Amino acid sequence: MTDTPLLQVDEVTVTRENGKKLLDQVNLRVGHGEVTGVLGRNGAGKTTLAYTVMGLPSYRPNSGRIFFEGKDITNLSITDRSRLGITLAWQYPARYEGITVAEYLRLSRKDATRRELEEALDFIQMEPFYLDRFVDKALSGGERKRLELASIYLMRPKLAILDEPDSGVDLLALGDVIKLFKKLIDFGSSVLVITHRDDIASACDRAYLLCNGKVMLEGQPVAVKQYFMSLCSPCSDPLLAGGVISNESQ
Amino acid sequence: MNLSNEYMSLIEIAEKAGEPIRTDDAHVIVHANNIIAAKDIPGLEIDAEETEFGIRASFTVKAGAVLKKPVHLCFGHLGKEGKQIIESRIVLEEGAKAKFYSHCIFPNAVKFLHAMEGDIVVGKGADMTYEEVHVHGPEGKIEVRPLTRVVVDEKGRYVSNFSLIEGRVGILYLDVEVDVVGWLGSAEITSKVYGKYDDICNVKDTIRLSGEKSSGLAKARVVLKDNSFGKFFGEVQGAADGSKGHVDCTEIVQGNAKAEAVPVVSVVHPGAEITHEAAIGRIANEKLWGLMAKGLTENEAIDVIVSGLLR
Repeated sequence: MTDTPLLQVDEVTVTRENGKKLLDQVNLRVGHGEVTGVLGRNGAGKTTLAYTVMGLPSYRPNSGRIFFEGKDITNLSITDRSRLGITLAWQYPARYEGITVAEYLRLSRKDATRRELEEALDFIQMEPFYLDRFVDKALSGGERKRLELASIYLMRPKLAILDEPDSGVDLLALGDVIKLFKKLIDFGSSVLVITHRDDIASACDRAYLLCNGKVMLEGQPVAVKQYFMSLCSPCSDPLLAGGVISNESQ
Repeated sequence: MNLSNEYMSLIEIAEKAGEPIRTDDAHVIVHANNIIAAKDIPGLEIDAEETEFGIRASFTVKAGAVLKKPVHLCFGHLGKEGKQIIESRIVLEEGAKAKFYSHCIFPNAVKFLHAMEGDIVVGKGADMTYEEVHVHGPEGKIEVRPLTRVVVDEKGRYVSNFSLIEGRVGILYLDVEVDVVGWLGSAEITSKVYGKYDDICNVKDTIRLSGEKSSGLAKARVVLKDNSFGKFFGEVQGAADGSKGHVDCTEIVQGNAKAEAVPVVSVVHPGAEITHEAAIGRIANEKLWGLMAKGLTENEAIDVIVSGLLR
């Protein structure tokens, strides 16, 4: 294992055109073979962080740098980052009309056999008959979500960014998410998991608490989880939680 | 006139387009205004004659006949200029079932008019599928005018798929009108067009639902790039109790292409229900990014999305 982290986010700030800071001098690192969790309430900037690491055009840093295996990837495209070994399992995967599940999965691994595709589906509890279905309205949001995880399973990236892997997925319990983490680590991947669930964060090797675009806390998952549960749920900052508090008080 | 070369060329191109024509299948093969080959089968009557610029043909699938293999209609011309007008009438009698596969092949056309005027009658409980696939050359300017009028009777079912995605479109005026007049009748018409260069693609699909509990779907998938122009007019009219219809149009625009979509939903009976959806514009970023995060370039991602949409 090398000292250079797999992913290093250095002082990254992402600002909207209207001046609103989505990420504010964020520092984060993901080690080789580690599961790193990013915890936070809705709107904390978790998905923005995932998009920024993946290189989405609207989420390019205004300042700061991103390094992958020691290489500066701040100005690389999504495609280039993916080809280096980074991929993202989207919180709300898109529909693709006219493309079957088998064809979609083979975008992640061209030479995958039918047996390997079935194995990937089986891992996320989908039956083999799904392989011939289209990735359009024929699949529910939860099924597309599972498919996204099967795609990651086949791709075996160096860094898998999982954006709320359990949201919208029926019956995908904590145990299933942990099983996915372990499998990816077995494959040699590292995981950056975005979540608002404290129990998922506690299954990580390292955790970050994001609030209003800033890293509030970094460290052992247990400590981050405790902080999150005691001060973030509900939010203790009346300025940040203004809407929630005023709604509750009405 | 020896037209064996034309015959072989049309057969080969049809096979490459995805649906081979076997000699023992029912078929009519026409080059210009010459009927090169024709074959009927039990349950199907074909009556075809040559006209000045094309042919006039009628096809009758007899009551209760179920044709297991498609009936192939192959209309083409290997020349650069000319005119071909096809007049056809297809009748499926009560309880009949058949699939017609129409290949329209003009690989070298530069200045050409291909017009089709079709009348289709789907009888009681009959089931008809009509696939029309065009193969045009990469350079040519061809004017394509398919005009189809369909009547669907009680419990009848009509499904049509029009596809013009190989080579240039040229100028297209596709006009399909379906009257579902019978109780529980249904119609589903899908048009897929890929416009390039300065192609002009006009797609007009109309379904009138006057039979009780009848149903209809008008669906278009149009991809336009370069300087092409496309217009989709899709209308479903609910005119009977329990009739249900839907208009579904997606037009993707790239480069300097322009697109218009006019989905019309009309109801003239309080018991009818018609819905529509139309998406027009560039490919959504989340679709592109989703594929780029799997290592595809933006152009590769566009190709995957477009080929899926036009499938």
